[in-house]
Amino acid sequence: MIELVSLRKEYDNVLAVDDLSLTIPPGEIFGLIGPNGAGKTTTIRMACGLLAPTLGRAMVAGVDVAREPERAQQYIGYLSDFFAVYEDLKVWEYLDYFAHAYKLPESDIPARVTEVIAQVNLEVKRDAMIRGLSRGMKQRLGIARAIIHRPKVMLLDEPASGLDPKARLELRNLLLSLRDQGATILISSHILTELEGFCTSIGIMERGRMVRSGRIEDVTAAETSTRLVRLTWVGDSLVAAQGKLIAALKNDARVSDVNLAEAAGTFRFSGAEEDLAGVLAALVGANVPVTSFSEVKQTVEELYMKLSTHEVM
Amino acid sequence: MGRFWNEMFWSNPEFVRHRRAELRPVRAITIAAVVAVMCVLLGLACWSYEQNLLENARRGAETFATDAWKFRLDQLQQEFARKTWLLFYRWLIGVQGVALTFWTLFSCAQSVSGERDRKTWDFQRTTRLTPAEILIGKLMGEPILVYFAVLCAAPVTLIAGLAGGLSFGIVTSVFIFLAVTSLFLGLGGMWLSTLLESRTRGVGLIGALALYGLTLGAYGMRESGLPGLAAISPLTGIIDMVLDKTDTPFRLAPTLFGREVSWLLMNVLLCGAFIAWLAVMLVRNLKRDYQDIRPLSRWQAVGCAAFLNFLIYALLSPGYSANDVYHETRGGWFPDAKAVAMFAVAMNGLILFLMGLATLTPQERLKVWRRKRASGESAIFADDGLPWPWLGISAVVAYALMVWGLLAWDHTLPLEMGTLQTAAIRLLLVLVFVMRDVLFLQWCVLTRLRQPIVKGVLFLGLYYAAAAVMTVLAGVVSSESGAMWMLALLTPVQVFDPKIAGLAFPAATYAGLALQTGVIGGVLMAISSRLQRPLRVGAAA
Repeated sequence: MIELVSLRKEYDNVLAVDDLSLTIPPGEIFGLIGPNGAGKTTTIRMACGLLAPTLGRAMVAGVDVAREPERAQQYIGYLSDFFAVYEDLKVWEYLDYFAHAYKLPESDIPARVTEVIAQVNLEVKRDAMIRGLSRGMKQRLGIARAIIHRPKVMLLDEPASGLDPKARLELRNLLLSLRDQGATILISSHILTELEGFCTSIGIMERGRMVRSGRIEDVTAAETSTRLVRLTWVGDSLVAAQGKLIAALKNDARVSDVNLAEAAGTFRFSGAEEDLAGVLAALVGANVPVTSFSEVKQTVEELYMKLSTHEVM
Repeated sequence: MGRFWNEMFWSNPEFVRHRRAELRPVRAITIAAVVAVMCVLLGLACWSYEQNLLENARRGAETFATDAWKFRLDQLQQEFARKTWLLFYRWLIGVQGVALTFWTLFSCAQSVSGERDRKTWDFQRTTRLTPAEILIGKLMGEPILVYFAVLCAAPVTLIAGLAGGLSFGIVTSVFIFLAVTSLFLGLGGMWLSTLLESRTRGVGLIGALALYGLTLGAYGMRESGLPGLAAISPLTGIIDMVLDKTDTPFRLAPTLFGREVSWLLMNVLLCGAFIAWLAVMLVRNLKRDYQDIRPLSRWQAVGCAAFLNFLIYALLSPGYSANDVYHETRGGWFPDAKAVAMFAVAMNGLILFLMGLATLTPQERLKVWRRKRASGESAIFADDGLPWPWLGISAVVAYALMVWGLLAWDHTLPLEMGTLQTAAIRLLLVLVFVMRDVLFLQWCVLTRLRQPIVKGVLFLGLYYAAAAVMTVLAGVVSSESGAMWMLALLTPVQVFDPKIAGLAFPAATYAGLALQTGVIGGVLMAISSRLQRPLRVGAAA
């Protein structure tokens, strides 16, 4: 759905994005992460046609953004971190303007405006002047603008900047619902917790280059050869339980770094998921009263800290 | 067709946005009321003025009781209504003309830069609106208040004009004239606006004022050798087109290829052509990022230079017309073909410099061109290359047009072969100096100067000021010939010496040509060295 081919952007004497290639399939939520100045904003601006690449090309839904900008825009919904709205219009007029600017069929526009106003919970402000809205409401109006034409691709550059926690949650839910409707989302952020449990893929940018990209589980698997497993138990004395655990685990060569505390512990396991089930079965067979047994997934933050070279421009 | 016009104009989303935002019912009613009150006040003032004249004549007739006074009184009484209406019409059209042109220019001059400042511009650029739709929407929408005010006053103006004895054609022509001039100024303002960021707003304001001043000042060109240029001034529409023919014996008319044409036709042709060029530049750049703006492609720049050269010969009026009361003045501008050729060379100095400015290549593009050129993928005439080869092409085209123009005017201004030879050397010298200056500006673009072009132009100004001082010093320290040598080496001024015939230029002129060619080589090397500098890695955004 989004294809960036050997993108390069030079500003005067600065190389902002260097030979960046990336393919994001339909339905993905791709988190573009990296420090300030890594080239995330430049990449997104090139992807939505606001900036002409020095070299390379950006394709959205099979359309070259630089060659057919007006055609490409029908597929793109763009939202930047700091933006403004036309203060001298009413809420419905603002959305009506963009519906026309995106060339939606005339007969669909009133219904679509109403639908989007409801989607961002601005029904009571429909006829209000925009200059009277709060910052959060204006941000929601901006989101409504970005989705008015039902874009297949959302390009979001730090969209949660300046939003309060409730508005962030609403934004996340809205984006998840858009993904469920088939939209592909490219979202940049340097607040990693913002992307946690939300992105299906990530790309880590530094110094204008893509350090690593792909589906989160693939990137994680590529970076870690062992799984961290956490387990808890009850009903037996600590010493007895630990003894049984050690007995059950010590003979397995795939287990390492066993770390047991009072009623919980962790160990590293280098086998596949099916083999891990065998370990659980062995523990249960050894009469260890296990109450929970799960793999500890890496957070995006941990992954970023591991992959990043921490080079700051 | 009707649907196209509807979508492009009346239903244009950008126009609708402005209509909704700025013409809400309360505001529209207020404007209409203000216009009505102003019309009434103006009408009363005009009536009062004419009544005063009549009273004075009546008192004069009573006091002196001569036939002359009686005749004057009779005339004023008979003409009272018509004269009052005509005065009222002149005031109405004057106020509307100034308001329309001034407001259109200044509102359009803030259209794009204002959106950039408010951070709404990117969203407009990422819609499916084409640059042409945005352009039309803004041109029709930004000055909508003044359009509405003029629309409100139009019926009164029409009635006043007709009652004042003007024909319907004249009244309509004046409206068309002002509308076309306003469109030209609006597009000029919008072009300025695309070139501005918030930090250069002051420059934009100065630019807009300068544009307005130049347009108004073009009125003075009526008495020049290129009278047609006055057709872009709104004053021509306000004053000349509504002149009461009984009040003035003068007959002023512009010429096109030596034939007199109406002011309206000249206005439509001239402003229409400028509007077309501005529209080309805007459509090409409106949706581009600020850094990527380049007014014209290289071929368009050559075309524009050719068009401006063509205008010189098309609008030329050597002052031979028997009806022309400014015969002497115009004749003074272009007494012979030599004067026309020298004027054309001087104009080409300006035209080539402007074309050079319009085709400066951004650093990023120039670096890519250099890399491609090193690998044999790009040519010296590529659109992203250095501007100097295109200045050369423009000069060749300008010379070809000069030959054509002078031959075409041969019947009135006899042409000698020596004139063409002198003009060729003059044009070459001007080209070399312009090329040097444009390449210097290109070098400035590659430096880290903020606003490199503005600063580069200031540096050039300093250079010419220094050259003038050095010339004066050389004259004081050595002799007059020393000053001439200094002038010829450092500036192109000497090439305009009217005494030169054929190829017999002084040695200093050719020495200056050689020196400046060497300087061009030096600037090219400096540019090449700048382009080879390695990039720093990291985003600037």
